[in-house]
Amino acid sequence: MYIYLYDDFLRQKKYDSVIKSIETRLTDFGIAGKIIRLQQFTNAGAVIEDEIRKGAVTVVIVGNDGTFGRVLSHAAKSEVLFGFLPIGGNNTIAPVLGIPVGVEACDVLSRRRKIGLDVGWVNNRYFISQLHIPPHPIEVEYDEKFLVSSKNNKMELVVCNLQPFVWNDHGKKEYIIHPQDGKLEAFLRPMHKKGLFRDIYEDPSVFPFEEMVVSSKKPFVVEADGRVTKETKITIRLAKNRIAMIVGKKRKF
Amino acid sequence: MFQKQDMDSYEETPRNNSHADEVETVVGPSVNVEGDFASEGNIIVKGTVSGSVTTSRQLIVEEGAKILANIKAGHAIISGHVKGNLKVDDQLELTETAQILGDIACRILVVAPGALIHGKVSMKGIEIEGGKPARRRVSRGRKTAVEPVEDAPTEEESDEFDV
Repeated sequence: MYIYLYDDFLRQKKYDSVIKSIETRLTDFGIAGKIIRLQQFTNAGAVIEDEIRKGAVTVVIVGNDGTFGRVLSHAAKSEVLFGFLPIGGNNTIAPVLGIPVGVEACDVLSRRRKIGLDVGWVNNRYFISQLHIPPHPIEVEYDEKFLVSSKNNKMELVVCNLQPFVWNDHGKKEYIIHPQDGKLEAFLRPMHKKGLFRDIYEDPSVFPFEEMVVSSKKPFVVEADGRVTKETKITIRLAKNRIAMIVGKKRKF
Repeated sequence: MFQKQDMDSYEETPRNNSHADEVETVVGPSVNVEGDFASEGNIIVKGTVSGSVTTSRQLIVEEGAKILANIKAGHAIISGHVKGNLKVDDQLELTETAQILGDIACRILVVAPGALIHGKVSMKGIEIEGGKPARRRVSRGRKTAVEPVEDAPTEEESDEFDV
């Protein structure tokens, strides 16, 4: 049985035609199922667990990067196959998974090409797309082997999992993160100085890792999949093949 | 007669990753790394590293970077300062701004004019008969140098030259 989780933003009139054609295509393929509309405070994890008990085999997320991160960060523990139907803008994860935006995504879904996706784990919860720590005096220990600190004290940290992070080295080179290389990538940018309009950063350091401990004497802000918390010490780990996901042939890993 | 196929085509092994070369470890200009710094991919050092550096692939130490560590790499291009022993499996390239304080072991050595080395350089593959260059032993008290006997059995073969 298929369960479709629709994001709240799809209620907007401009998405009506896409939704209609997607539903028609799904019916044609014989994979139409129950539709659940997510509200702002819906606990996707609880909804999915409930549906699994009722016999759901495949859970399809319908929306954008935000929906994908919000649902999977709660549902990574669920033993069910996930699918994704990207609609509208803000869809950077879909091309990584080889899923076209719009109606064509139904074709990928129907083929059920399944792989195990790696996810990030931070202080007892999962994150799917990205973890961000704004500039703060932090110290980072990688894989219990080496310690990284900055001369300039404050550092910004970005850990990428599925959401591609592109940093352009003044047009010389682009660093692109790929989700399936068995490691998480951490981008550390020491803050050089505060500018008039924006802060000036130095060239970033890039470290692939499997486990990382970030600590500071003062509490620092941690933003993972849109969820903001304050911590003094966090452990970030890679959970390999945690999520079973339907992907396309043109995936980038 | 016909094997029943699983409904899902589960691809457990990831496909050949064409992006593997892009994954690099970069140590930024104002970043200090302390400890055993190991990577499976290429490493670019622009900051300071102390401890040890190990990679099976390429190591690039940029100008202004400092490494206070023993280095093991597959291939290395050094433009910064290194205090420690360097062991490179393939080619070691020292640019004009490179300064090495330590012993070097490599297969191919490229040194640009202006590069500074203080240490022992040893390279594999030398085919000079005898294996060892003539060494002078100077005994204390006497000023006569002892010439090596040509037919004397050589010790363990090593291709080392003092720089």
